[in-house]
Amino acid sequence: MAYSEKLIDHYENPRNIGALDKNAEDVGTGLVGAPACGDVMKLQIKVGPDGLIEDAKFKTFGCGSAIASSSLVTEWVKGKTVDEAETIKNTDIARHLALPPVKIHCSVLAEDAIKAAIADYRAKAAKKDEPKAAAE
Amino acid sequence: MDHFARLGLPAALDIDASTLDRAYFDLQRKWHPDRFVSKPPEERARASVEAASLNEAYRTLKEPLSRAIYLAELKGVALPGDGKTIDDPELLTEAMDAREELQEASSVAEVDALARFAREDLEKGLVDLLRMFSANDKAAIRRTLLRLRYLDKFAEEARARRMNLERSKR
Repeated sequence: MAYSEKLIDHYENPRNIGALDKNAEDVGTGLVGAPACGDVMKLQIKVGPDGLIEDAKFKTFGCGSAIASSSLVTEWVKGKTVDEAETIKNTDIARHLALPPVKIHCSVLAEDAIKAAIADYRAKAAKKDEPKAAAE
Repeated sequence: MDHFARLGLPAALDIDASTLDRAYFDLQRKWHPDRFVSKPPEERARASVEAASLNEAYRTLKEPLSRAIYLAELKGVALPGDGKTIDDPELLTEAMDAREELQEASSVAEVDALARFAREDLEKGLVDLLRMFSANDKAAIRRTLLRLRYLDKFAEEARARRMNLERSKR
């Protein structure tokens, strides 16, 4: 099976490996897993005061395609608004990396991870607004 | 016919390995292609279908975790298939932490210690499953199987890590 150059590049030189402070109010963390293959993926975003994603980090234990998919997503979301980042589809990831059909599920994991990170960020933001709303 | 029935065994988690082996080898002999060489084509075809199903049944039931996953499916507890994700934070944090620990392990002895813990954990989980199956506690069965899936994957990764460490020593 031949893998694309882009995929190999993201696998061999993964971007944005690492972690952000998961307790910070401006950080959203998505932790998802694919039990069928035993993969686990953590993807985090840090949202700036201007509403743009200023940083993204990931840590993935899984196959090369899962690592490449999460690496690509962290690269894509930087500079985007949360709403824009939410529109990333696994099919976009799969197409960009030219994932072979048997590896499409790895891109699903990356899409679910960014969605989970966004949901976590929004839940924190909503909580932050709550006391204020109650005081009004 | 389910895999247990094919081997003439009760659908249960605690099947003795030698009972399973005996059931398999007896039936394998019965359907062996050598016994059908002089038989009509339809009988030969039937024998080869039976032999293939038998092999699949044995492969599925031999490993306790694979057997437990299959038994759960029979009881209507299906685990997420390819492309299906889970987001249970407790379970995934545990899996992530374990894999990080394994990644940081720098000696064969460390890897072996981690692998031993995982194996003990896996065995304990299989014992817990016996109780869950008899209580038909589907939620607990599902959660335990997911956890054991990750432990099993961990054991596989530990073996790979061990091999790498061994190789780099030479």
